[in-house]
Amino acid sequence: MARIGVFVCHCGENIAATVDCEKVAKACAQLPGVAYSIDYKYMCSDPGQNLIREAIKEKNLTGVVVAACSPRMHEPTFRRACAEAGLNPYLCEMANIREHCSWVHPKSEETTLKAIDIVKTIIAKVRKNQPLYPIKVPVTKTALVIGGGIAGIQAALDIANAGHRVILVEKEPSIGGHMAQLSETFPTLDCSQCILTPRMVEVAQHPSITLYTYAEVESLTGFIGNFVARIRKKAKSIDEKLCTGCGECVNACPIKKIPSEFNMGLGTRPAIYIPFPQAVPNKPVIDRSRCTYFRTGKCRFCESKCPTKAIRFDQNDEVINVQVGAVVVATGFTVLESTFFPEYGYGQYKDVVTGLQFERILSASGPTLGEVRRPSDGAIPKKVVFITCAGSRDPAKGIEYCSKICCMYTAKHAMLYKHKVHDGQAYVFYMDIRATGKGYDEFVRRAIEEDHVKYIRGRVSRVYERNGKIVVCGADTLLGAEPVEIEADMVVLATAGVANPGAEELAQALHISYDRHRFFTEAHPKLRPVETNTAGIFLAGACQSPKDIPESVGQASATASKVVALFSRDELTREPIVAVVNRCAPPLYSTCVGCFMCQTACPYSAIEREELRTRDGTLVKTVARVNPGLCQGCGTCVAFCRSKSIDLQGYSNEQMYAEVVELFAE
Amino acid sequence: MKQLHERAHELLEQKAVSVIIGYGEGTEGRVRPVFIRTLEAVRLLVWDDRCRVNLAVYLNKPEIRKFGFPIAVVSTPATVRTIVQLIAEHQLSIGDVVVLVRENDTVRALIQKEDLEQYARNNPVIFPPFVIEEIELLKKMSIEERFTYWQEELAKCFKCYACRAACPLCYCEKCITDVNQPQWVCVAPHPVGVFEWHINRAMHLAGRCIECGSCTIACPVGIPIALLTIEATRVVKEEFAFTPGIDCNAPSALSTFRVDDKETFIR
Amino acid sequence: MKEFEPKIVAFVCNWCTYAGADLTGTSRIHYAPNVRVVRFPCTGRIDYNLIIKAFERGADGVIVSGCHPNDCHYTSGNFHARRRWIVFRTLLEYIGIDPRRIIFSWVSAAEGAKWADLVNKAVREIRELGPAKEFINMKQWYEFEKALGGFRG
Ligand SMILES: Cc1cc2nc3c(=O)[nH]c(=O)nc-3n(C[C@H](O)[C@H](O)[C@H](O)COP(=O)(O)OP(=O)(O)OC[C@H]3O[C@@H](n4cnc5c(N)ncnc54)[C@H](O)[C@@H]3O)c2cc1C
Ligand code: SF4
Ligand code: SF4
Ligand code: FES
Repeated sequence: MARIGVFVCHCGENIAATVDCEKVAKACAQLPGVAYSIDYKYMCSDPGQNLIREAIKEKNLTGVVVAACSPRMHEPTFRRACAEAGLNPYLCEMANIREHCSWVHPKSEETTLKAIDIVKTIIAKVRKNQPLYPIKVPVTKTALVIGGGIAGIQAALDIANAGHRVILVEKEPSIGGHMAQLSETFPTLDCSQCILTPRMVEVAQHPSITLYTYAEVESLTGFIGNFVARIRKKAKSIDEKLCTGCGECVNACPIKKIPSEFNMGLGTRPAIYIPFPQAVPNKPVIDRSRCTYFRTGKCRFCESKCPTKAIRFDQNDEVINVQVGAVVVATGFTVLESTFFPEYGYGQYKDVVTGLQFERILSASGPTLGEVRRPSDGAIPKKVVFITCAGSRDPAKGIEYCSKICCMYTAKHAMLYKHKVHDGQAYVFYMDIRATGKGYDEFVRRAIEEDHVKYIRGRVSRVYERNGKIVVCGADTLLGAEPVEIEADMVVLATAGVANPGAEELAQALHISYDRHRFFTEAHPKLRPVETNTAGIFLAGACQSPKDIPESVGQASATASKVVALFSRDELTREPIVAVVNRCAPPLYSTCVGCFMCQTACPYSAIEREELRTRDGTLVKTVARVNPGLCQGCGTCVAFCRSKSIDLQGYSNEQMYAEVVELFAE
Repeated sequence: MKQLHERAHELLEQKAVSVIIGYGEGTEGRVRPVFIRTLEAVRLLVWDDRCRVNLAVYLNKPEIRKFGFPIAVVSTPATVRTIVQLIAEHQLSIGDVVVLVRENDTVRALIQKEDLEQYARNNPVIFPPFVIEEIELLKKMSIEERFTYWQEELAKCFKCYACRAACPLCYCEKCITDVNQPQWVCVAPHPVGVFEWHINRAMHLAGRCIECGSCTIACPVGIPIALLTIEATRVVKEEFAFTPGIDCNAPSALSTFRVDDKETFIR
Repeated sequence: MKEFEPKIVAFVCNWCTYAGADLTGTSRIHYAPNVRVVRFPCTGRIDYNLIIKAFERGADGVIVSGCHPNDCHYTSGNFHARRRWIVFRTLLEYIGIDPRRIIFSWVSAAEGAKWADLVNKAVREIRELGPAKEFINMKQWYEFEKALGGFRG
């Protein structure tokens, strides 16, 4: 028989003013299983807690009900007190007779009766409570960072500098991401390469960071603290240990006209290439889809020129498994391009470019060595039109969101253009100017006021070519929608920032969720912005939504602090409020029939398949198993299970049933 | 019938299946299920218009499973739907069942996912007239009338669980009615216990009932209980655009959701 | 004669509606005392069988409430619950039980006033519907069995 102690709190006058606490305690004393029932002025005070501790010892209590304020307030307090007295903390529950009773009803007999009812139900629950023990899982103190853009770099450095091992996986031949492509950066106009390159080098040289470039994560299994990642290192076709990065091979390659990805197609590269001069690692890879040898079986010019004999045509992809305790996803984003904007002539006219292409045109290391020259004929454009919100905030294009960075980089573009072409004219078509960061609005104002960039509020309806000029037609909505027509030499589209191709597959491989624009989703938009729904996997940078550099870096440091906090202990302790699938005697072994409805229902992919076998190894059946490392204890699975084979500790079927039924027990 | 015998013979001879579940002559001109394991027994198989009961239910029975897969089943369209649904619910795998169906007077064996799904899609549910009548009748009733209707019907239920045994999708090894910690469904066949049983049956089959009518045929006191699961499946179909028994990989309609599921009653 | 006082059980999730009801308390907003709250981690955990049990044992009405869509602490428990309710409600109606006896709502942790309002309205509406006669009807048997000292399953 249970021996439950009931402790009714007056909360000074807060409860006692409307509820007759003494009467509640007396009524509860009569209930089956109640061994002790008392009321006291302040249960949460030291003497109050002592009362509980002593009663547990003296009366040999097997359960405790504290009738007081909301469990959301003091449940931890009283559970701790119980634990101190040697009672399993999960045998203690609170009955909320303050927020749900004394504060919301007048002093009356009825209010007291309601309070008794509330305590009664919790007593019924506690009769069914089981002792629970915190779940402990070991932690592998190595972090996997996926994506080597500025966000991934920052996260990797922060984690490594805190003393933990990091594996950084980048799918391109070099780390750096989009930031490496930028010319100068708003709002301070410092040179992007100059601030980025040192960090890239730091990553490469950091003793705690293992860098895998030209590599991708194929799958992730396990759970927080204990993941196993399968990484495919694509064949670079060189021996990295021998290669010194001298670049002889690059010069030797006869194929020269491959559009350079780094220069957004505005320059070219050979089949064996280093994507850009400051690349990290600064060693070439062979693009096998373009290499003559791989296509025709002849060539090997590069091999003959390599002074260290580092070329390896017979290299295979290598697949490795690594154990990690936490994962940071920092795979960034991309911008819309190609034929997405037929109305803006993109893809049709060479001199209509994206913002990212314009970055390359502005960049000192770019195809024009930093001179503003247009792609078609290399002439210096005298009139440039910038169009913001190209694709963004346009439900008709399927993108209702604001890409957030375009207003700012367009102002930057116009400004840099004016700095380089003094007699040039810059026009910006905009819907609204969103410049909400520190120093951002000042930056835009500078473009308008000091650099005399002409801002026109309105949408561009059409862009077409006439006599070698690009005609931009729009309307100025601030001038009563008066039509505007500008004959430009060049047009720059601030195209929407979108999720990477392949984002969906990656999310599926990692078991994290993504929104309908394929950006990865955070666990809570307000309170858990860097966590994913899968414990132990975090998000940094533009893979979650378009972001600028300061935001990406900030978020990266935030994820790093989460990872470091996770790694600060050898074992993870988790609340045992998790689901369990029952096990019973043979021949049933479990009443679970393996329908796996629970598996689709679980928001955390916590439910796995488990093969039940007899002692001699014959398969009995496949049933569900809850991974306690992943389960967050929502109980959604429990309500689905038809055979009632899965139950939630702490809110078990028996407990909930007892609570409901008790309400109507005479 | 000749074709069926030939096919059955072939399957057993080649040891392609361990047992063929089919129809044989019963008493009083009715058919009954037969389980053919030997070549000699093949001649017992009959296949005519009387063969309407859904034999897929036997696929869940341990007595049959112990013969080992693959198993062949003489199938109606409802049987095919059942098998597709059982595959979707991880109770069977592709290749476990050789599904014998009649198509344009020939016997076809369906094994692959695509064939099963296509057949299931091409042969949708056809309700017998009395079901349609009853559905119409219930639709016209006021809520009080429906309460009376069901109270009268359910009063006949004495919880023999024949419906459960006949339903090819009731495959739990321990049914909720047998769970007693806590006692979700009162054991007694009083109105409350009966109500609990039938509402649970309907909820459990929502979006899963393939509308074969086996439960109603099995009910010894003639309660049209299929109407409840048919209604449950109707809501799922209409609200969530989900039809059971046509997709071997469909996740269950009730353990998935759409963010924009429509409802009108939540305040 | 005294007015009929309905007994109402509220099934709520811990993170939104329970917290919302806490806020009603801290804001000292008074409401009808007829409701008894049962706390679940999430609406996803709420088993329809518990709703049935509540009615069977004597509830006249049930409130089911949790986080607004997209606000579930576990991201999607409430979406699952919503599907379940859509089906459950339709079935109850089909079997002749007035679905107005179950009041579904989203009440966030900030909506203390909404909670008070919800309870008051529920009490008013259920009072108008009267005692849950369907179940009283069904229970006649069951009471009889109990009187015989039978099992209370
Ligand atoms: C035209 C333009 C101008 C901009 N100008 C500015 C500016 O002036 N100031 C400013 O603050 N911000 C600017 N930004 C924004 C800035 O580029 C981003 O904030 C920043 O690049 C985000 O960094 P990230 O690391 O999150 O993503 P990214 O830079 O996109 O890096 C992601 C990295 O992950 C890699 N990756 C992707 N998928 C995988 C995979 N599956 N496996 C492994 N690796 C993968 C990519 O190859 C890449 O290296 C500009 C953006 C654009 C488009
Ligand atoms: S829902 Fe229940 S029976 Fe189905 S797999 Fe999960 S635990 Fe097993
Ligand atoms: S309780 Fe929630 S998180 Fe845990 S296994 Fe069940 S559905 Fe998943
Ligand atoms: S936690 Fe409130 S509905 Fe899920």
